[in-house]
Amino acid sequence: MSNAILESGAAMADGTPRRGVEQLSMQQALNLALDEVLAANPKALVFGEDCGRLGGVFRVTDGLQAKYGTGRVFDTPLAESGILGMSVGLAMAGFHSIPEVQFDGFAYPAINQIVCQIARMNYRSRGTMPMPITLRVPSFGGIRAPEHHGESLEALFAHVPGLKVVSPSNPHEAYHLLKYAAERPDPVVFMEPKSRYWQKGEVDFDSADPAGSPAGGSPAGAKVMRAGRHLTLVAWGAMVARCLQVAELAAEDGIDIEVLDLRWLKPIDEAALAASVRKTRRAVVVHEAPLTSGLGAEVAQLITQACFDTLKAPVERVTGFDVPYPSGDLEDEYIPNIDRILFGIQRVLEYKRG
Amino acid sequence: MDTLPSPFSGNDAGQLSGPRSEPLTAGQLRELFSLMVAVRHLDSSAIAWQRQGIIPGYAPELGQEAAQVGSGYAVDTTRDFVFPTYREMGVARAMGVDMVAYMSTHKATWHGGLYDPLQSRLAPIQAVVGGSVLHAVGWAHGQTLDQKDGVAMTYFGDGASSQGDIHEAMNFAAVMKAPVVFFVQNNGWAISVPTERQVAGGSVAARAAGYGMPALRIDGNDVVAVVEATRRAFAHARAGNGPVLIEAMTYRRGPHSTSDDPGRYRSLNEERDDAGEDPLERFRRRLLADGVADEAFFAEALAAAKAEEEHIRAGIQALGSRPGSEMFDLVFQETTLALQAQAANWREESEHV
Amino acid sequence: MAEITFPLPDLGEGLIEATVLEWLVSPGDQVERNQPLVEVETTKSAVELPSPQAGKVVRIHGGPGDKINVGEPLIVFEVPDNTAGIVGTVPKEEAPKRRVRLSAVLDED
Ligand SMILES: Cc1ncc(C[n+]2csc(CCOP(=O)(O)OP(=O)(O)O)c2C)c(N)n1
Ligand SMILES: [Mg+2]
Repeated sequence: MSNAILESGAAMADGTPRRGVEQLSMQQALNLALDEVLAANPKALVFGEDCGRLGGVFRVTDGLQAKYGTGRVFDTPLAESGILGMSVGLAMAGFHSIPEVQFDGFAYPAINQIVCQIARMNYRSRGTMPMPITLRVPSFGGIRAPEHHGESLEALFAHVPGLKVVSPSNPHEAYHLLKYAAERPDPVVFMEPKSRYWQKGEVDFDSADPAGSPAGGSPAGAKVMRAGRHLTLVAWGAMVARCLQVAELAAEDGIDIEVLDLRWLKPIDEAALAASVRKTRRAVVVHEAPLTSGLGAEVAQLITQACFDTLKAPVERVTGFDVPYPSGDLEDEYIPNIDRILFGIQRVLEYKRG
Repeated sequence: MDTLPSPFSGNDAGQLSGPRSEPLTAGQLRELFSLMVAVRHLDSSAIAWQRQGIIPGYAPELGQEAAQVGSGYAVDTTRDFVFPTYREMGVARAMGVDMVAYMSTHKATWHGGLYDPLQSRLAPIQAVVGGSVLHAVGWAHGQTLDQKDGVAMTYFGDGASSQGDIHEAMNFAAVMKAPVVFFVQNNGWAISVPTERQVAGGSVAARAAGYGMPALRIDGNDVVAVVEATRRAFAHARAGNGPVLIEAMTYRRGPHSTSDDPGRYRSLNEERDDAGEDPLERFRRRLLADGVADEAFFAEALAAAKAEEEHIRAGIQALGSRPGSEMFDLVFQETTLALQAQAANWREESEHV
Repeated sequence: MAEITFPLPDLGEGLIEATVLEWLVSPGDQVERNQPLVEVETTKSAVELPSPQAGKVVRIHGGPGDKINVGEPLIVFEVPDNTAGIVGTVPKEEAPKRRVRLSAVLDED
């Protein structure tokens, strides 16, 4: 596998972005994006626990140390607060850090540095000390892992002023969104859906979005993954693939569903939400994170604000529960499954005013 | 790796007060051996279980049997309390924890394991590196406040020693003179990162001096040395002299976990050179040389270990999933209306009730 | 599934071949890293070769008495195409299953 990744990156020796279309896994797409970022920006650094020699526990940084050296791609001691705190100083010294936190739950030990420092240094320094930091976090559940390896932290991050948050749903998105995020002058939390690292998909290197898409070819906003007339399913990360499956099943019942991949969880693309739901007049938000104070509430409010007059029903939320992410045996009980999403859709379809 | 031969030659070991404990009897030595064999056999079997699809993953402790069994053996489960990481199967076994309930965590049944932590005197399995070291300080300080004589022992690795929480814990414990034994298993590796690129200066025990705490750097592959050092540390802490740090020098002979491929970061030759002598084989030869045990005893110990593993495997295979309702029931002591509503919704819309 | 072939390693300076004495594993076996695979004899000594990796044995090369040159295939392992991260499993892609059907009278106004 490591060879496969290196081979697809091989043409990149001079840092020229790839052209054309390729079938890649998300791991490979992310690896390629990092490779291009490192090649293009001599100030870009990749580091974290086991990122160097091992190439990351999910092999996303595979081969990069061999190619760019231990100065630019390196293992740190085992301390997340240290990793993120060091990124602050590196940013002050003119570097663009792309640190990795090994798993979602291990961003918690770094919360102090992320929230109190990274998120507000630009503000504190009156814009003189920007924080171009791209924090990669393998995220969400679905792999039957131990505790703290299945968390959904997007609402936590999105609530912090000064952080931007994005999550890709497939290899194509992963490639373009990571490259885009790693070029931003602000801190971006990049949430990689770990249950989708291995599935292959088409990556079109030439253009982030298919021509004519509402996002207009930019990875900056939300993206319609399937057009539909009757209801909009809003999702991100691993839930996008599940919602696309649901849309196919709904079609068997004569219901035409639009799937909107939010991609950016902060800032949220309000225009894309409004455009979609104004057309479909019904919406269901799906996320793995717990219900209470989850991002679904924010999305529902934005839709309600923009589409109150045309909405046929209140926006439904199908989410994880307000419980700690469970052990593997109970994982499928927790993550929104196809039936629970269909139930949510049915509630919206049935809704009668008055 | 520079392991020190005597259990008492770590820095500041002279500060360790309290009498040397009684030497281990022949019966105790045989018991230690039987425990190590049981742990070795269960550990290697657990890897096989993973390959057979019985459990989704496992973190082997191959090579750390002496450090784990020896330290766990020194615990007095009537009054002490132990805080493990995710790799302390040998400690749990030595403390007499129900091993089906312990191994259930690796079957993905319940994150912390299904054993009763209060009864077993073993805190729930901890997946956060360095996560429970401060808890040991709190538990130990509670003993001081209650004027009890229990000692907390907390385990962590060379990798974990980099975490800020560990340093806070050492300082807290030393400032408060809390009865804590910090038991570090320096097994040479934190996943793919070797100790020399993890621990500046090369020694976790050396940290203790900065916190004014005695430390023992011991040969963690010598089970007798481990028992003696741990007992001595317990006596020191129990007598009200504050915390002790033990750095047991050992080696992670296996992969970090069942899906790790150590070939990516170390060669078989390096493994052979750095691992030193197998702690089990070494103890076996010693018992034989001292006339404490014979081949018949070793064969018996292995047979018992095999029977035990079969029993545990059967228990693990028979273990069903926990009911999904536990997801909701165990969040709080006092549940909330919102949670009850979510549980009702889950029951209605879920197939498995 | 992918196959990984391991060649006979250089067992000491200048050695160019070794003779298989006895295979300790057979096709179909799951072996672990460091597990003895085969006993071979060189001009210097008989040695047990440990497995450089965990995997399922697909093929072994050479029976007892056969000579194998350094660098020639010794053993072939089968390894999954996708290896899990340090913990957890690679999720299976399953065909979507449903119980719930949708019903709605959609007024297309
Ligand atoms: C806070 C935190 N960060 C990262 C991890 C992922 N992780 C699990 S074990 C491990 C290495 C730990 O090394 P060490 O402390 O030496 O213990 P060992 O695994 O050698 O027993 C890492 C990085 C984690 N579980 N918790
Ligand atoms: Mg270690």
